[in-house]
Amino acid sequence: MSNAQIEIQLIASLVAMACAIPGTFLVLRKMALITDAISHSILPGIVIGFFITHDLSSPLLIIMAAASGVLTVVLVEFIQKTGLVKEDTAIGLVFPALFSIGIILIAQNANDVHLDIDAVLLGELAFAPFDRLIMHEIDLGPKSLWIIGSILILTLVLLFAFFKELKVSTFDAGLASSLGLSPVVMHYGLMTVSSITTVGAFDAVGAILVIALMIAPAATAYLLTNNLKKMLLLAVLFGVCSAISGYWVAHALDTSISGSMTTVLGSVFLLVYLFAPDKGLFSVLYRHKQQRIEVSLLTFLLHLGNHQEEEERHVKHLNEHINWQKVRSKSVLDLALKNNMITIEKDIVSLTNKGKKFTSEAIDYIVTNKNSEIENMKDRFFLFRG
Amino acid sequence: MNLQEYIDLVFTDYTLRTITLGTAVLGAICGMLGSFAVLRKQSLLGDAISHAALPGIAIAFLLIGTKNSSVFLLGALISGLIGTFWIRGIIKNTHLKSDTALGLILSLFFGFGMLLLTYIQKLPNANQAGLESYLFGQAATLLESDVWLMVVVTSISLCILLLFWKELKLLLFDADYTKTLGFNTRFLDILITSFIVIAIVLGLQTVGVVLMSAMLLAPAAAARQWTNSLSIMVILAAIFGALSGVVGTAISASYNNLSTGPVIVLVAGVFVLFSFIFSPGRGLLFREIRFRKNRNDLQLHKTLSFMYNIAKTHEDITHPHAIKILNNFQGFTRKSLQKLEDKDYIKVEGTMWSMTKSGYQAAANLYNQLTNNEDE
Repeated sequence: MSNAQIEIQLIASLVAMACAIPGTFLVLRKMALITDAISHSILPGIVIGFFITHDLSSPLLIIMAAASGVLTVVLVEFIQKTGLVKEDTAIGLVFPALFSIGIILIAQNANDVHLDIDAVLLGELAFAPFDRLIMHEIDLGPKSLWIIGSILILTLVLLFAFFKELKVSTFDAGLASSLGLSPVVMHYGLMTVSSITTVGAFDAVGAILVIALMIAPAATAYLLTNNLKKMLLLAVLFGVCSAISGYWVAHALDTSISGSMTTVLGSVFLLVYLFAPDKGLFSVLYRHKQQRIEVSLLTFLLHLGNHQEEEERHVKHLNEHINWQKVRSKSVLDLALKNNMITIEKDIVSLTNKGKKFTSEAIDYIVTNKNSEIENMKDRFFLFRG
Repeated sequence: MNLQEYIDLVFTDYTLRTITLGTAVLGAICGMLGSFAVLRKQSLLGDAISHAALPGIAIAFLLIGTKNSSVFLLGALISGLIGTFWIRGIIKNTHLKSDTALGLILSLFFGFGMLLLTYIQKLPNANQAGLESYLFGQAATLLESDVWLMVVVTSISLCILLLFWKELKLLLFDADYTKTLGFNTRFLDILITSFIVIAIVLGLQTVGVVLMSAMLLAPAAAARQWTNSLSIMVILAAIFGALSGVVGTAISASYNNLSTGPVIVLVAGVFVLFSFIFSPGRGLLFREIRFRKNRNDLQLHKTLSFMYNIAKTHEDITHPHAIKILNNFQGFTRKSLQKLEDKDYIKVEGTMWSMTKSGYQAAANLYNQLTNNEDE
């Protein structure tokens, strides 16, 4: 690994960490799309800042861009408050307008601005090591490393200082304000940090990857845990791993680094989305199927409990009477047999003592209808689940 | 170049005519279908889909190896639809909310698309140049065949809209009721979503991935301010969309270095701003005027009822009183007294005021209404 490669990976990991932290809170607060808006609408801020200073690496650019990010949030909220359109429409109206202004400003002054629109969307991580911070003729490393490093430290300091407040205001804004923590201050604080992070990361990885790095790790982590601290840690971990492996994918395929980082993030999300133990697609579908069969089983047992006549309890009769398909009746019968709830003699089904007990408790459950109890009850009675 | 010359040029110049027609038709179809997106609270779906279409275009190019806009459209359509249904799946099957799902699909698909685009750029294939025009759109690349395609798609979607008008309208405002009436809501849902995806994909070449969502939203959001009727809103949105296309093209054609897409979006933005402020029913200006008027009326009524309480204590209700005694009541000004006088409720002579008969009546009624309302 060359020096530049290490530096690129270092920058990418720092960006991923800096993005994952505010991203987690944005996802939890259902404001993920505001990053989309901010990452687009900082463009006019950057262009205007460039016109003033004529220097792409001046700190004024970051300030202007962060200001236009916050301006976006304020505008969106203003439009939303008028009640003329819904919130998402407000977001969708504000950022394309600001982005258009940015593009037109760039196009109008194409000769003086050394700003490429492709670079705005994609970033130039590969070139980041060439733009170095030199002080007193000592090479201190790439500039973007310093920028994103300080943003990360700022974010971490704020996170540790206000963790409790953030947590309360994220999950229960009413409680937060009754405890004397202003949700408004928290909201705008978070928005400002997100804007600054977006701007800092934007330089290195471009507008789209910023969105991906903010939302994807947090969403992936959210599928795996319900604990805020664990979610933050997992999000940071996913971000950093995808950043580094994304770099090597890009290296192998000779493609854009930010594109391949996003692709890796996407694949990780897809894997977790499909296979997450509790909330993944497969386990959700499996649970649905399990519950459907168990509900059928309950219906079947209730039917048996209600009928003493033999013809009502004939195996063949069940198909017609409860109107189930063959496969379904068979799996229900099997499940009931496995759990010792029924016995079958000469194709006549009858309830065992255990089955009777289960049925009567199930009726109690249905009458009192407490949602959480049926799962406990199933745990007590079932040897095998559906 | 004055307006007359420009209009002449539109009719004579092939490129300009094609672009003007193309953007107008695009604006119309976007406005039409965008109305549904806005009312269904799916405004940002457009943004997500337009980004999600990018890998489709890239894969289509990788498969056929040449530039062919109808094959690209097909690729974009497929990957846009995959994106849409994945968003649905995420919202339905996990506890992630719609904003997270939209943002995820948007950024992940777009990132994958960029990966493919940069990969294509490295291929030794001379045809690859110009794929980036899908990022920001290049109206100048529109051909007459593209415009025809747009016209055909627009008329098909118009027919479908008219055919399923009643059902779609019902679905829009009361999905549960639609279901209980026995309509296939899933089919209707997929139908309207697919047409929204088609409209977005059509616009990619002209205004590009990033700005496409605004094309879909802005005309509809503007039209929403002027009416509460769906049919009028759809028509208005189509007109606004077409107008922003035509005006945007005109502006960008008359100046150097102005790309068409952003200008069209900004023109549409101006329509929205204008509608937000000046629409008579919901606009901010008229709302403010109504507020002021109500506040003044209330102030006037308060003054009148105060005077009524004074006049009531005298046998002769028109007995004059000094304006000074109103001083410990803060709700009056010289102007409001003047107004009351204009309405013939009071008479002002020098520093004295007296209530007229009609003023007394009006104030008494006011008081009655108030107590009646409280009783009810």
